[in-house]
Amino acid sequence: MLALRELQTRFANALFEGAVEPVIAEIVARGAVSASERLEIYRNNLREGFIKALAITFPVIERLVGTDYFRQLALDYLRAHPSRSGNLDHVGAAFATFLRERFESTQYAYLPDVAELEWAHHQALIAPEATAITADVFRDLNAECLEQIRFELHPACSLLRSEYPILSIWRANQSDAEDEELIDLDAGGDTILVLRTPECVQLRRLPPGDFAVLEAFSHGLPLSAALEAGQAADATFDLGATLQRALALNVLVGLHGSDAPIPRISQ
Amino acid sequence: MRAGIGLRAVHHLEIVERGADVGWFEAHSENYFARGGQLPRVLGKIRERYPLSFHGVGLSIGSTDPLQRGHLTEIARLVRDFEPMFVSEHLSWGSVGGRFMNDLLPLPYTEEALRHMSDRVRQVQDFLGRQILIENVSSYLQFACSDIPEWDFLAALAHESGCALLLDVNNVYVNAMNHGFDACTYLNRIPRRAVQEIHLAGHSIRDVDGHTVRVDTHDGPVCDDVWVLYAAAIHRFGPVPTLIEWDSNIPALDVLAAEAHKANEVMETDRARAA
Repeated sequence: MLALRELQTRFANALFEGAVEPVIAEIVARGAVSASERLEIYRNNLREGFIKALAITFPVIERLVGTDYFRQLALDYLRAHPSRSGNLDHVGAAFATFLRERFESTQYAYLPDVAELEWAHHQALIAPEATAITADVFRDLNAECLEQIRFELHPACSLLRSEYPILSIWRANQSDAEDEELIDLDAGGDTILVLRTPECVQLRRLPPGDFAVLEAFSHGLPLSAALEAGQAADATFDLGATLQRALALNVLVGLHGSDAPIPRISQ
Repeated sequence: MRAGIGLRAVHHLEIVERGADVGWFEAHSENYFARGGQLPRVLGKIRERYPLSFHGVGLSIGSTDPLQRGHLTEIARLVRDFEPMFVSEHLSWGSVGGRFMNDLLPLPYTEEALRHMSDRVRQVQDFLGRQILIENVSSYLQFACSDIPEWDFLAALAHESGCALLLDVNNVYVNAMNHGFDACTYLNRIPRRAVQEIHLAGHSIRDVDGHTVRVDTHDGPVCDDVWVLYAAAIHRFGPVPTLIEWDSNIPALDVLAAEAHKANEVMETDRARAA
């Protein structure tokens, strides 16, 4: 008798790789339905469940490439990156990377960037809660200390930079989008902040200076370095205005001093 | 207790705003693993007004891979935050060698599998600090090495691990038809006190080269034969908390509530007959 481990391994190989023969003898073919046809029901479940989970996370990619080609892409992705989790929410983690390998230096090079945006949107939906800091925290800081403080971004936040107008592409492919709008792929790139409000996930196009500052914060850089990044990105950069906008969006949640971290403001 | 329905995201808003005429809700554990945002908030609001249970589909409890501690930790967090009435998993496996098929695959019913499954159920119960319910699954094949009937396997699992059973009457029916056994024998061999919850769902009839295979698709109403079997189950096990599952082609909340009402009627009829 086949040990349980061996049976499970052969069964999985049959479903993933189509290595059906090594497991066929283990399956009772009662009536006229053969063992391979019985196995095929499970292979079909695996494929359809995977495609469906991916389509839920990447509806814009599905719309851009069409249902049939999306299915083909999903099956190729399944072969390269089978699910590694009991939670189907995780299956899309490597999809943008997979698309990048496939479409880099083709006319569809915007697809992986759109996939990254959809993944960030998906992650924002399920990220932990955190309480945003308010302008009050600046009151107790002296100028010396100020230069060295580091901000933490809300866990639902992502920053995305693309050479393509991916935010316009994303918006034009929402189910509630108005008339079909033609998008010029050479219209210029996007710098986007994904954030979560109490009501929903928002995608916002940021001015280059704001994007550079938040990007510096997300890399754990101090305010002095963020200031330099902002100035490099935008000649008319104004740090005060940028910080005010970031505070208004509630995306800054942690504040750390130069040496000992200042504790995160609790709820 | 009046019958409940599976909680699905398309109905969240309506349930929160207007409520639903059902006894309780059951959530798929994995659908609420979110650490923040709308999902935990909505679930909290529903939990304030209704009993709730968690039903896992991804733990892969019967796998010979190590138990996924991260997954289990998420379930423990849900248990702590929402204090559910029941926590259930399946008599199945869905992964091996780190690859997940994300499906409820049947186990061979052998002494080895029984020992393995009992050990894993005990591990999960120890981790969560509470009893769990294990549900029988629909299957489309049987293994040649199986030498224990499914019903005896379940009864022994409950006895050895101390778990309770979630009896899916539709899955009993589907397997009876697919594998050619008597569904009443199945019910009669399950110990009365082991069953703490019952599931009802619709299934599909698939034609495979001119032969019928019943597939557990949860995409329609409960069929007449399953209602008859449900009445027999209620007669044997008593008015066990019952849940209607409907996971694709999900209808309006009223349609689900009407299915739950049918289950209430079956329980009332049985009670009246016994009186």
